[in-house]
Amino acid sequence: MTRAGRGIASAAWLAALVMTAAGCGTAAPARSPSTVPTVPPVALNTSLATAAGTWATVVMGGSAAQYNNFWQLFLRPAGSAQWKLVTPPGTADNGGLVVAGGTGQPLITAFRPSQDLTYTPLTQTSNGGRTWSALSPLDAALAGTPDSLAAQPGTGGLLALLATGTAEQADAAGTRWATLASARTLAATAAGRSCGLRALTAVTYTPAGAPLLAGACTQPGVVGIFAAAGTTWLTAGPVLTGALARQPITVLRLSTTGDQITALLTAGTGRHAVVLAAWSTDGGAKWTLSSPLATGGHQIVAASFGPDQTAAVVTAGGRGAALSAGKWQQLPALPAGSAALVPGTDGRTEVLAVHRGTLTVWQVTSSSGSWAKAQLINVPIQYGSSG
Amino acid sequence: MPGMNTGLNVSDPTIVEAFKTALLHQGLIALLIFLVVGLTWLSLRAWLPLPAATKTTTPAVPEPAWRQLLRYGSGVLWVFDGILQAQPKMAVGLPSQVIQPTAASSPHWVQTVVNWAGTAWSYHPMQAGAAAVWIQVGIGVWLLAGARGPLSRLAGVVSVCWGLLVWVFGEAFGGIFAPGLTWLFGAPGAVLIYCAAGALIALPERAWRSRLPGQITMTGLGVFLIGMAVLQAWPGRGFWQGTASGQPGTLASMTASMAPTPQPHVFTALINAFTTFDEAYGWAVNLFAVIALAAAGAAFLTLRPRLIRPVLAGFILLCLADWILIEDFGFFGGLGTDPNSMIPFALLAAAGYLAVAGARAPDPAVVPAGAETAPPRAGISWQRLRETASLRALASANISSVAGVGAIGLIILGAAPMAAAQANPVADTILAQAIDGSAAPLHYRAAGFTLTDQHGNAVTLTSLRGKVVLLTFLDPVCTSDCPLEAQEFRQAGQLLGAADRHVELVAVVANPVDYQLGYTQAFDRQEGLTGVPNWLYLTGSLAQLRAVWRNYGVAADIEPAGAMIGHSEIAFAIDKAGRVRTELNFNPGPGTAATKSSFAAELANAARQQLGHS
Repeated sequence: MTRAGRGIASAAWLAALVMTAAGCGTAAPARSPSTVPTVPPVALNTSLATAAGTWATVVMGGSAAQYNNFWQLFLRPAGSAQWKLVTPPGTADNGGLVVAGGTGQPLITAFRPSQDLTYTPLTQTSNGGRTWSALSPLDAALAGTPDSLAAQPGTGGLLALLATGTAEQADAAGTRWATLASARTLAATAAGRSCGLRALTAVTYTPAGAPLLAGACTQPGVVGIFAAAGTTWLTAGPVLTGALARQPITVLRLSTTGDQITALLTAGTGRHAVVLAAWSTDGGAKWTLSSPLATGGHQIVAASFGPDQTAAVVTAGGRGAALSAGKWQQLPALPAGSAALVPGTDGRTEVLAVHRGTLTVWQVTSSSGSWAKAQLINVPIQYGSSG
Repeated sequence: MPGMNTGLNVSDPTIVEAFKTALLHQGLIALLIFLVVGLTWLSLRAWLPLPAATKTTTPAVPEPAWRQLLRYGSGVLWVFDGILQAQPKMAVGLPSQVIQPTAASSPHWVQTVVNWAGTAWSYHPMQAGAAAVWIQVGIGVWLLAGARGPLSRLAGVVSVCWGLLVWVFGEAFGGIFAPGLTWLFGAPGAVLIYCAAGALIALPERAWRSRLPGQITMTGLGVFLIGMAVLQAWPGRGFWQGTASGQPGTLASMTASMAPTPQPHVFTALINAFTTFDEAYGWAVNLFAVIALAAAGAAFLTLRPRLIRPVLAGFILLCLADWILIEDFGFFGGLGTDPNSMIPFALLAAAGYLAVAGARAPDPAVVPAGAETAPPRAGISWQRLRETASLRALASANISSVAGVGAIGLIILGAAPMAAAQANPVADTILAQAIDGSAAPLHYRAAGFTLTDQHGNAVTLTSLRGKVVLLTFLDPVCTSDCPLEAQEFRQAGQLLGAADRHVELVAVVANPVDYQLGYTQAFDRQEGLTGVPNWLYLTGSLAQLRAVWRNYGVAADIEPAGAMIGHSEIAFAIDKAGRVRTELNFNPGPGTAATKSSFAAELANAARQQLGHS
């Protein structure tokens, strides 16, 4: 090899090497964020008031990544001040518990699937959780929102919102499920177009037993609550006015207790977002709105409904607010591990705080101004049993 | 890389014991190979007159020093690597603990390529682990033994071929496609240096007296080192910072990650000290590295021995320092596969220097006269093979060539079972046995039952007479093990092929809460079992189920607080006459592709045994 040839070869090798190495040594550019709009989920931590008492679901234990998170169901029976553990047995509930029930009806619990389970086992109790009986399973994954399951008053029929965004309805026996609507088909209706529906978030029945679906709208001021009308759907939500009419609205929660439908709405986004509740006692024809609660840009991480038009929300950052008589009231800073608020009628609010296998019930009244420890429950979490 | 991990503990005693046993057996065969080859050689020498041509052999060109260095160096390294492959953790640990992490930061296509081989290894860890031992020891011995001739050159070629396989599949292309590439940490992969050495060893003898090998080696090294210096100096890669935002810089992070490797304390202390030093003086350390690499590369490119000699000494010192302080030797911890890249680099550079320094072989005329009348010491040449009968050629071979032939036997000893295993897409049952132990042979009448299948039809055990029944107990709402077990049953049916029609795959519900027909049907849909003709998922009233559980010794306990049903994981093989013949513990373990395949194979074997007995 001549000196010149050697030089040329060396330069070529060097250039190729550096170019290759520099290219390889540089991290690939990050993917551009998805443009598909999503609705921030509200955790399944919640409480529900029925004739049997007040129920609460909270997640306890350890790491969800290692399936050491186990969802627990607690009941404070009507007339009692003490909570007790009534988690239905027989099924791993790492995927989450969703409860549905109304006055005079059994409480139905759905086990959201996790790991290799892809369908949703269902169970019910009519005696305050003392005994449970299995219902035919829902052959699909339930959506991860607290109002993804509803029981039809009187008949025992079920309405479910699936993880796929489809709403399905089962007959009274619960053995035959049929598709009611999907976010896509609903968005294609006139009501869906007027809303600019981007996702379904909740399902319930009216007191008369008609299905209601709720979701997130992109059109300002439109509340995405829809009622079936023959083969199509009609908007059935409250009409917002003023500044709220200029904001996109998302229905965070939608639930029916007795003759009352309750919705929890967020209006706007970011620092200017507000939360408000709406009630209807005539199946969604007329609605009463609460005052708005400014979230200060904090996400709503848990929301609960109580009796007599009470509600409560937990926001990111360990803050909470309770709604009573149509007005929100900020609560004292929540205790560490607060998972779900339980609004009461007598100005009393409880919060369920979790640390691994220990549930601590704290109470605050409108006059006390600070949280007081009321009860402590140790739950025998079976760590490692689902891994 | 889902298929690469068996999910088993790398120190699993069943696997380790089986690996040791396999190595011992194959080691005895290896000894036998050498014994047979040696005895054959000695016998032929005793019985056959040596070919006349060898008595007047032409003067041979002595092997040049650079080639000797490369050959002995590579040989020792391959033997050492082979011995490292015999470490107990290697059989299971290599794919999951070495290959997978190495490839994890590489692009997806690299991971896909690597996963293919890693999966094959994880399916057959015994054969693959033992093969790596014998192939590498064989190549090493072959290189050490073969000084000259076609066999010696062929050893170089084999070294290149195996090295490339290891480089691609074992080292994920030496990590050259991953971020953070640096010579200091082993780029472009130790085995690629072995390949370079093998290629030089494979050069024909006429190249020995040329300066070409030296020129190629030093030019290649020079270009490579300058390229690595540029890469080392490239801003934004974190090598200029000892720490960044309170965290160790790139190099300090790398060395810190090596420190926990199980090794003598003194080496941990050394690497920790270097990490601390680099954190404090990262900029200076990188500047030194850049200058040293660039200077060495530039000096090598001159091809001037006088300039290269002192630089080479410094380069070797740099390699040794890097080997100890940054690469942390590379072979500690029970899963080290080689002594990393610095020793091969030093070896290659030294050989390149010897080649360019004119350490050329003396001309044939310089060979001492006595050599012409010395006993034949030539290797086996193709020419001689053509000229004489092969047996005569073997008889005339020297002991090194005989050792080379034995080494080829070693390689075949490793490669043949490995190739056979790789052709089998079903994992070895050793994985299932490592998780649950061996199947227990039994012989008693299976307890009868009357239950309801997933279609609502009544099924009795008696109605299944004439078929082999694989029976297990599954919780339909189980989130982890039962779906795996169902898949293993289905896979077992597939493995049975045509014999599948003589086997009934039966599961009984093992949940005292969710046992209704809707649950068995939902489970079947979930697992894709609705179209499997010989699959039965049986349930019944709670009383019926409890009776079956009791008769088969199965527990199905309700656990509190949202936990799954705790039930026995067990499977039975029931022969055509209704007798329980095999009981298998049936905890599916980690549920990896390899373990699922292994359990399926174990079930299929249990069924085949009964089909054969009947």
